[in-house]
Amino acid sequence: MNGAQHILEAFHRHNINTVFGYPGGCIMPLYDALVDDVGVEHVLCRHEQACALAADGYARASGEIGVCIATSGPGATNLITGVANAYMDSIPMLVITGQVATSMIGTDAFQETDILGMTLGIVKHSYLVDDAEALPAIIEEAIQLAQSGRPGPVWIDIPKDVLLTAVATAAPATAPAPDAHCPDITRALAMLRSARRPLLYSGGGVSLAQAEDSFRAFAETSGLPGVVTLKGIGNAGKHNPHNLGMLGMHGSRAANKAVEECDLLFVVGARLDDRATGKLDGFAPNAKMIHIDADAAEINKLREADLALRGDLNAILVAFIAALESESLAIADWQKQCQTWHTTGGFKAADNEEPMAPITGPAFIRQLSRTAPDDTVIACDVGQHQMWVAQHYEFDHPRRHLTSGGLGTMGFGLPAAIGAQFADRNSTVINVTGDGSFMMNAQELATIRRYKLPLKLIILDNQCLGMVRQQQELFYNNRESHINLDDNPDFVAMARAFDIPALHIDRTDQIRRGIETILAYDGPMLLHVAISREENVWPIVKPGASNREMIDETKRTSTANKENVA
Amino acid sequence: MNPQSQTAMPSYTLNCRMNQEAAALERLCQVVRVRGFRISRMSMEAAEDHLDIALTLSGSRPIGMLRSQLEKLHSVVDVALQEQAAVRSVSA
Repeated sequence: MNGAQHILEAFHRHNINTVFGYPGGCIMPLYDALVDDVGVEHVLCRHEQACALAADGYARASGEIGVCIATSGPGATNLITGVANAYMDSIPMLVITGQVATSMIGTDAFQETDILGMTLGIVKHSYLVDDAEALPAIIEEAIQLAQSGRPGPVWIDIPKDVLLTAVATAAPATAPAPDAHCPDITRALAMLRSARRPLLYSGGGVSLAQAEDSFRAFAETSGLPGVVTLKGIGNAGKHNPHNLGMLGMHGSRAANKAVEECDLLFVVGARLDDRATGKLDGFAPNAKMIHIDADAAEINKLREADLALRGDLNAILVAFIAALESESLAIADWQKQCQTWHTTGGFKAADNEEPMAPITGPAFIRQLSRTAPDDTVIACDVGQHQMWVAQHYEFDHPRRHLTSGGLGTMGFGLPAAIGAQFADRNSTVINVTGDGSFMMNAQELATIRRYKLPLKLIILDNQCLGMVRQQQELFYNNRESHINLDDNPDFVAMARAFDIPALHIDRTDQIRRGIETILAYDGPMLLHVAISREENVWPIVKPGASNREMIDETKRTSTANKENVA
Repeated sequence: MNPQSQTAMPSYTLNCRMNQEAAALERLCQVVRVRGFRISRMSMEAAEDHLDIALTLSGSRPIGMLRSQLEKLHSVVDVALQEQAAVRSVSA
């Protein structure tokens, strides 16, 4: 068994049956081994960036490790954005690249890049395998490392000669997973019991720890009003009456108000990202903070916690549930206050009854949320449409909302949707995108056609880079700069060129029928939705400002432009 | 924030033990830079399977934050803060 065959053997052992890749010179021994191996489905994307993003989407939707493969040089460098995306959102990923032969490393050989050096800041760990006998242990460690603790991408760079060398070393036994660590929660319980306005603040760490069920049980048992980060959307489910939705730059007034007024912030699996907190000085100014996280480095990173509980989120939440099962926290007045804020300051979008009226993003997303099946996976791109989905689509589970939170990668949505469709061939997967983002990885229409994926694509087309235009309008004195996309291709014709049927709609009375048509179609279909160029995402907090300084449509004045953005 | 623009920043000495792995030293230095610290002195001794590295560095951010980030590196075995070095220096 050579090095390449050993890699596939390790995939089998770890039940890795889908990988995303693109062949080339130095990785050819692995592709040669794939010819004989029928147990691993290799998905050929049309750009290495899409391979990494598809592996990311696969991992997010399934909870399993995502795997991407590329050759050396440009193949490897093209992966970088996708790997950085996974790193920023802590997605478990194994990255395998070919490298020039060991004797050629450092000679500026054809397609040689120091990919290990280039990617140090975007991986959980990485390896350059210079000894074939070390490969079995490295593969084993890498697969485990990518998924353990706080997950992340692990990169293995393998010279071509190592892939071809016979490996005598047997695969090491898989080490047992460490026991779930649960710190003492006594003090945290006392803080929770004495708080009058406690608020649950949850993020992507909940699903990363696969703690969705225990989180939901904790939220219900405790009755805590809650806010979620972009990546925490879906944590509380659709029906929790105390969930105030997303906080932050495009969060609801209700969520940001609750953070401002709370006296205890109970943070679960969130890293206090600047888009969520706004200016830190004004963030939860009256609150003590309990911070629960798997990663010790997140504790006290941006705000000192009054109490930190580092460990396994599942185990910690289960301990809280057990302690609170037989008691009620004295927070009825606070719950009522939060519900009032939710009623008056939750996300709203008027359903326009005028049939000929132009389509608005929020109204479209609300209809999509009402129409799509409960188990639908929505893979967003980045921009205004992403925020409208976060605000107006009701998710029942965080794994059904795939969004590039940390890196904000335009072009994420289409390959991520492909990955999600491979994770579950039977689920409804919809890529909601904008005209700017769609063009970043539009070549993946060919992947949809090749694998006959029944993906649904929805382009909210405002003929510009809407989020940039919005900030130029509000914070740069309306000086538009390089945001115009009114020379977009005909997206309907473009889809049809890939044998993907497509529809165009531009009136309110076409929304429902358009959505129902693509969902009912037995195969991939694209819905091109023309929306206004001038539409903005509301509310918005100016970058660097406090969340209490939210601007909404009714306060859309030149005051937003009074101070320039730093 | 540009922590290196401060005129007076605390100085620290960290002793790190790392496994002998590809790019171990680069990983360490990169984390120090990205997390807002500047190295003013560095020494390293390589043993058969590990590296012992002593770093004198300065920065305005909490040293505990850097320490916890370094401890996350898979190659890092141990990070110890040398207490007597937590003094203020005027230039970095």
